[in-house]
Amino acid sequence: MVLPTTLQGNLMPAEINFLAENETVTILPRYSMKKIELIGTPIPPLRAMRREKVPLWVALILKSQDKCNIVPPKWLNLAYLKEKHEEELRKPNQFSDLPWHWQEIAKILLARAQDDLSDPSHQLRSVIQDLREIRLVKSRKGLKELNESNISLNGLSLLEINELRPFVLGVMNKLRSLHETTTTSKEVDEDMAEVSDDDY
Amino acid sequence: MSNYYDLDDILADGEKVPCKFNITVPGLGYLQGNPGKPIEKDTKIELPFWLAEILAVCIVSDESQQSFIDMIDPEFINSKVVNAIKSNPTSVDLHKLLPHYYKLIEKWCSMFSDEQLIDNVMNMLKERSFEINSFANNVNKQVNSEFIYTLDEFEKKLFKQTSESNKLMRNWLKE
Repeated sequence: MVLPTTLQGNLMPAEINFLAENETVTILPRYSMKKIELIGTPIPPLRAMRREKVPLWVALILKSQDKCNIVPPKWLNLAYLKEKHEEELRKPNQFSDLPWHWQEIAKILLARAQDDLSDPSHQLRSVIQDLREIRLVKSRKGLKELNESNISLNGLSLLEINELRPFVLGVMNKLRSLHETTTTSKEVDEDMAEVSDDDY
Repeated sequence: MSNYYDLDDILADGEKVPCKFNITVPGLGYLQGNPGKPIEKDTKIELPFWLAEILAVCIVSDESQQSFIDMIDPEFINSKVVNAIKSNPTSVDLHKLLPHYYKLIEKWCSMFSDEQLIDNVMNMLKERSFEINSFANNVNKQVNSEFIYTLDEFEKKLFKQTSESNKLMRNWLKE
């Protein structure tokens, strides 16, 4: 393949950002529009001042033309995020459950739809940064527990998993191949035993 | 287990390991530097791993169970190294010891299946990789630690991949 090896098994943050744009958000249109049939997520008919769920990318286009307001998702406000931050502090061995694309959506909305958010953006930014950092520290700590067979990623979002992936895969693969050197010989013996049993 | 085209694998195969000849082989003296002469029984000599591996397994003839050579425990798993690995994994200079340490341990242990050694090496890998991860996270700052220079080839690759992934992430956050 022509792609550099780092990109072959891993996504770039920009690609994940792109994927996140397909998440649905609620908007409050100011204009009416007929529905559009798309292969992926069809866009429902829009009527002025009636809440409707559309993919984020559509919402962003409409927003940039001043044709809608974006209703921020229920987790994107100071109270909720602060509470999640507390939760992270309270449970040192566990990640609180945040949406699969929380960082990307938060970033996009903070950049493109600041005026629709209920809280001042600099405060939101700082609490998001805090959340990210505490989760990063936790996942680092969790890496101490790496083994050759499994890893628990409960509660982590796609972007966070993606950041860890090259490291975790590399180490786990190596651990596995080291581990296999001692187990395969036994397994072969067992296989042989089974075969001879069948022969009788 | 290993890829035919993997350069690191080929290089690891070329590492020399000490062996002892069990029989006298005529005409093989050039290995020792006296061409034309036979190589005597009980001669100790260093052979590349790919050759030693086969000669140690092949038996000379059907009657005797003897193989051509016996492999002697190489330097990289002697008690001094193993003790160093056990006591402080992050201070071992793997690169100086053997640039393809993990690969060769893998090969060695798939022949001799030394569980104790594998346990030690796996522990070392865990501790060292944790350290690698924290180094990879602050590549912008000056890395003036000897540790980076003691990484073996696999660890270097890991370090590079990890720091690249972190760099991409940081750039995205800055956008």
